[in-house]
Amino acid sequence: MIDPLQTALIGAALLLAVATGVYVALDRSPDLVLIGLAALVEVGLLVQAVVGIAQVVGDSRGVSVVTFVGYLLAALVVLPAGVLWSLAERSRGATAVLVVAALTVAFLVVRLDQIWSV
Amino acid sequence: MSTSTRSGLGRALIAVYAVFALSATGRSLVQLATKAGEAPLAYSLSAVAALVYIAATLGLAEVGPSPRRLAWAACGFELVGVLVVGTLTVADPDLFPDATVWSAFGQGYGYFPLVLPFVGLGWLVRTRGSHARS
Repeated sequence: MIDPLQTALIGAALLLAVATGVYVALDRSPDLVLIGLAALVEVGLLVQAVVGIAQVVGDSRGVSVVTFVGYLLAALVVLPAGVLWSLAERSRGATAVLVVAALTVAFLVVRLDQIWSV
Repeated sequence: MSTSTRSGLGRALIAVYAVFALSATGRSLVQLATKAGEAPLAYSLSAVAALVYIAATLGLAEVGPSPRRLAWAACGFELVGVLVVGTLTVADPDLFPDATVWSAFGQGYGYFPLVLPFVGLGWLVRTRGSHARS
């Protein structure tokens, strides 16, 4: 995998989680700034998925291809679902959905790295 | 009237359940597809856990004919599951050769699987209205 992208993605996802946490504390719904940040992370995840699938199909190095591709694709679904769910209602709990989604993405990227370095 | 389980804090709770439903289902499918014969008990348990998380997610999200009952059943089963499997795996680690979500009280998942059913049941109690029975 391409390590700088992974590191950037984990950092960006955590930043998104913290920023959304501030919104939850202030009882504000996600606005364009937050959604823009989420979209940025999503673009990074998309790049990661394309590069990751190309690499693992080229030479799997004993990495479980199914698991690896599963994680890559799962990471793509989480943020859009989280954004939709957090916008569907105006409440603290709804905004917190995006915190959960961002933390999940960070966790998935960490796990991807672990799977890849086996 | 009972309050909606998918409103406010419930939304965040459903999000966490959805993540677990997704990951448990993924894990279970991979295990069953690639090495079903190795640890049938552990892998069947993973599949059961996945179904329970899906049921809890749907129940809390108020999908289906009697979602509250579904959520009660799923969260209750989940609580019993994590306690029984957790105790068994701590007492006899050889019983399940490969890890499941509920092994060692969900240690591999930051003990979320242990905390989650309590929060789920607590939320069901809290959103239960004055004259709602189920």
